[in-house]
Amino acid sequence: MTETTPLLQLDNIVKNYGAIEALRGISFDIARGEVLALLGDNGAGKSTLVKIISGGLEATSGRIVFDGIERNFTSPAEAKAAGIETVYQDLSLCTNVDVVANFFMGREIVKRFLGVPILQEREMQTVVEKAMANAGTRIPSMRTNVEHLSGGQRQAIELNRFVHWGGKLVLLDEPFAALGVEQTRRGLDMIKRIAAQGIGVVIITHIMAQAFQVADRMVVIRQGKVAGNVERAKTSPDEVVRMITGESL
Amino acid sequence: MSARQRAIIEFMLDNLVWLLLIVVLAAFSIGIPSYFQIGIFTNIIEDSTYVGVMAIGLAIVIIAGNMDLSVESVAGLTAMVTGILFCNGGIGLGYTMAPVEWLAIPVSLLLAIAVGGIIGFSNGLLVVKLRMNAFIVTLASYIWVRGLVLALSGGRSAQGMVPELRIIGIPIDPILLPPSALIAIVSFIGFSFLMRRTPFGRHITMIGGNPIATFRAGIKTDRLILVSFILAGAVAGIAGWLLAIRTSGATANLGVGMLFKAFAAVVIGGVSLKGGIGQLPGVYAGVLLLSAIQTAINLMGLPAHYTQLILGALVLAAMLIDTLKLQIRQRLA
Ligand SMILES: Nc1ncnc2c1ncn2[C@@H]1O[C@H](COP(=O)(O)OP(=O)(O)OP(=O)(O)O)[C@@H](O)[C@H]1O
Ligand SMILES: [Mg+2]
Repeated sequence: MTETTPLLQLDNIVKNYGAIEALRGISFDIARGEVLALLGDNGAGKSTLVKIISGGLEATSGRIVFDGIERNFTSPAEAKAAGIETVYQDLSLCTNVDVVANFFMGREIVKRFLGVPILQEREMQTVVEKAMANAGTRIPSMRTNVEHLSGGQRQAIELNRFVHWGGKLVLLDEPFAALGVEQTRRGLDMIKRIAAQGIGVVIITHIMAQAFQVADRMVVIRQGKVAGNVERAKTSPDEVVRMITGESL
Repeated sequence: MSARQRAIIEFMLDNLVWLLLIVVLAAFSIGIPSYFQIGIFTNIIEDSTYVGVMAIGLAIVIIAGNMDLSVESVAGLTAMVTGILFCNGGIGLGYTMAPVEWLAIPVSLLLAIAVGGIIGFSNGLLVVKLRMNAFIVTLASYIWVRGLVLALSGGRSAQGMVPELRIIGIPIDPILLPPSALIAIVSFIGFSFLMRRTPFGRHITMIGGNPIATFRAGIKTDRLILVSFILAGAVAGIAGWLLAIRTSGATANLGVGMLFKAFAAVVIGGVSLKGGIGQLPGVYAGVLLLSAIQTAINLMGLPAHYTQLILGALVLAAMLIDTLKLQIRQRLA
């Protein structure tokens, strides 16, 4: 595996929900350190594709090669272990527990005492406070349950969570939908910083300006097929919009 | 409002049922002449043992977002198994572990845990693998396990528990509590710790809150739900074992009615039936509260059915308090 092999290769991914053909043969690559904007109208199949890459759904057919190895993820745990982090469109937080518990969900810091793993709450809280401060997220207390937080604060937790855990590829499904202007700007900066570290980023958005601000390449999905795969430098928002809607030039 | 004030209010809300317990005990002590005695208080603790232990498992399953109606029948079954093996009279076989007679204690306890655990496992498997509704699965177990008890006993009873087991139910001199009550207290402390301070408890709570999120986070939700059912069965098994020792035997309908008390205690203790919310110390306080009220009713010589009226009213009150707490919390945030 060399630096030039793509980080992720999708080869003819098909997904049927019963009679509905959500994905009809999707193929594209993403390189290390590349930011790829995944675009398309409502129902085009973007979230479905993200769920397949992140192990939450199994493709009906097709091949996924990640980090040089052919993969067949059967659960998000496996994708995560391979280095794929995901921020889902519908937030994945447990609102009945606090910010710290959510941040560390499934990866808690523990110390073993007589073989029993004990949660290290102080240590975890310190980490979360630092991560939130770095991202400029203001949350009154790391110990409040998430149900009491605003939509933007919740989304910030998810974003900061994946930044903290890193990985090799991050999938962001409309990550800024609930964020304010300043938070979105910080989020976009953050994506550039992550990519500079050699991490691949897939970002789904409906906002053309955002896509053109961060992405190196645009992949447009229309009715479950790739309708366009262009470098940002070689296209324009108008052209991309036409690809999305399917109007001829 | 300062963070400190807020923390204090949150703490009070979390421990409301303990507050209520203290108030009720104080009120009874003032109002009922013979209530304020060590003997009465130790009695309340002793009386809370059986429903208490059963409520631990029930609470864990409910916190994980499920339901286990079978715990009462499971306790009935392990009581009957213990009774048949270690009683001398009736259908009892009167086994002993001679020459090391005390071995009967761990052997019978492990057997009860195993029997309960197996039924919990079968409940959990049906819920997790076949995606069956937990309410229905465990309602079926509630019925068939009690049927098994009837079949095993042929409707007859076992009496005369061997002495080496009976000591578990006999008060120890200086503290006036039997080992059984201590087992309940230790179980509550142990499981409270498990739920509050270990990843297991944290994950169970989060699954109850949002199972999709925990699944996406890579937590093995199905396995943990299965474990919660096994735990509930095993712990109900211990409750049945304790019950057999207390009554020095087992009848086919031993334990009938405990489910509703355990349920009431769980709800009064602050566990939400929606899942994801609740703490075990509160459940213990709920059991103690029920027992304290029961004792008061007995002392005042009121007819027993008053207990049922009060039980029902308490469950409703607990639900009201639950919504009230939620509103206060929202105002705090
Ligand atoms: N669980 C499901 N069962 C059946 N059909 C589904 C399911 N999930 C998605 N679909 C269908 O698959 C297609 C693609 O959906 P998907 O959620 O991937 O779209 P999307 O591109 O993410 O849209 P949006 O921009 O609105 O988020 C849609 O037609 C949708 O109705
Ligand atoms: Mg979508």
